[in-house]
Amino acid sequence: MFLALKEIKKEKFRSGLIIVMIVLISYLIFILTSLALGLARENTDAINSWGVEKMTLSSTANVDLRQSFLTSKQTGTLTKNEAYLGETPVVAEAKGHQQQSALFVGLKANQFIARNIKLESGHWIKHSHEVVADTSLKLKGYKLGDKFKLADDKTKFTIVGFTKNAKLNVTPVLYGQLATWRKLRGITMGPVASVVASKNSQYHNPRSGTKTYTRQQIINKLPGYQAQILTFVLMIGFLMIISLIIIAVFLYILTMQKLPNYAVLRAQGIPSKVLVSATISQSLILVASGLVIGTVLTAITGLIIPAQVPMAFDMPILTAVGLGILIMALIGSLIPVRTVLKVDPVSVIGG
Amino acid sequence: MSSFTVKNVNQIFGSGTAKVHVLHDINFEAEPGTLSLLMGPSGSGKTTLLTIIGGLRTPTSGTVTVNGVNYNQRSKRQRDALRLDEIGFVLQHYDLLPYLTVADQFTLVDKVKPKGSLSKEQLTQVLDTLGIENLLHKYPNELSSGQQQRVAIARALYPDPTIILADEPTAALDSPRVKVVGSLFKHLATDHHKAVVIVTHDPRLMAFADHLYEIRDGVLTKQPLK
Repeated sequence: MFLALKEIKKEKFRSGLIIVMIVLISYLIFILTSLALGLARENTDAINSWGVEKMTLSSTANVDLRQSFLTSKQTGTLTKNEAYLGETPVVAEAKGHQQQSALFVGLKANQFIARNIKLESGHWIKHSHEVVADTSLKLKGYKLGDKFKLADDKTKFTIVGFTKNAKLNVTPVLYGQLATWRKLRGITMGPVASVVASKNSQYHNPRSGTKTYTRQQIINKLPGYQAQILTFVLMIGFLMIISLIIIAVFLYILTMQKLPNYAVLRAQGIPSKVLVSATISQSLILVASGLVIGTVLTAITGLIIPAQVPMAFDMPILTAVGLGILIMALIGSLIPVRTVLKVDPVSVIGG
Repeated sequence: MSSFTVKNVNQIFGSGTAKVHVLHDINFEAEPGTLSLLMGPSGSGKTTLLTIIGGLRTPTSGTVTVNGVNYNQRSKRQRDALRLDEIGFVLQHYDLLPYLTVADQFTLVDKVKPKGSLSKEQLTQVLDTLGIENLLHKYPNELSSGQQQRVAIARALYPDPTIILADEPTAALDSPRVKVVGSLFKHLATDHHKAVVIVTHDPRLMAFADHLYEIRDGVLTKQPLK
């Protein structure tokens, strides 16, 4: 530690350059992680807020809630652990607002999904043309009591409540009555819901024409979800490897320049572990400094970034990412450490 | 008892047609309180012998004993510890870490060897003698090559070794400084009972030597002091 701190103090410019690189990389990794997390949440927030473990859909729906239609024969009798859910994409049109794509989710007020949804303001739906909307619509100028048209329905819908975290596949959700879903879908007879959702992880619907999935299976099949997540994971992974290479290359160059000095120190009986510890400490100090600055920049970004940008700052995940970068630094420093361990005092003395 | 004894040491590099016999049956020892000069032409094996005495190189055959301890019976780590405690190296280049001030060069020794080094007063005396007492807060790149060499000497003396091995310690010094450094080594040998061995081409150091050895083609012979 002594040697590492002294070298950083003396070589301020060189150390500063390495720290700047680490700041940029860690900042990029933190922002990408937050974006990935934010997007993932915007895909799944609604499903996660329902408290659902299993979902039964039509076997022909390709695990797509919008394409599923279940008849009462297929749903069977529901217990208190199950709930109906009808989903359909809609476009909201209101005076003074741009068209707004949304997902209408029809629920029964006495079933567990509706009871799990916590309102931020307003009240739960009492009539067929009332909706509880995702709070993101507030950012677009909607307020309680605002009215808009949905699809071809002539009667206007009124926003009677707002709820947080009601996004599915990055689209705001409008909660309404199940009967309204049937009307919006133009269903007069036959299907009673898109989905039977259960909070029982052992739930299974054996009826013909149905298939039961776990919540994660449904999430994984959300359009574009896997592609988004994998893209971000790939980018973050690459940045981690880049940080490892940068640390390894910088430290290797710095160590190579010091090898003659290290050789003399070895000749003078300074143990290898002192030099190895100096190399590892130097790497960790530089990366930790970069991480601290990167974290501060990320926090500032979090404060000033517009609410529309789907970023989520999750401390445990960002801490894990920070630890990942530190581990990369540790691995990166092992390459010059190998060289330090092999240093031959005779090489500098000659003879 | 001798500070170190080199017995029947041979050093051979390479094999087959590339085989070079660098040292031939070397027998050499140094008593505490003596200053020995090892002189000879370049490539004669002087520095090779110095690295063998310092435990940095294992000879092809023969034994080296330092203060009664046979190097052959010690592990690499034990040899490091022995070197730190018993041997002070003064080399031609790279003795000083460029990012440590002169004061920090001594602090580094304290970190590795918390006890047994020179006291503050003793260090001050050495620094005064070498004329570097005002350079404690300077970095090596702020020193002249002569000043760097004197700091390197002080750095080697700081752990209070019993044996001082120096490789061309006066190569960068002018005549007045050679006198100072020669006197210091002589003072360390006689007053502090250290065995000092200096590999050098510099005849100006002969005035301070107790013994003079010459290596020529790997053969060591004792020479009379002029």
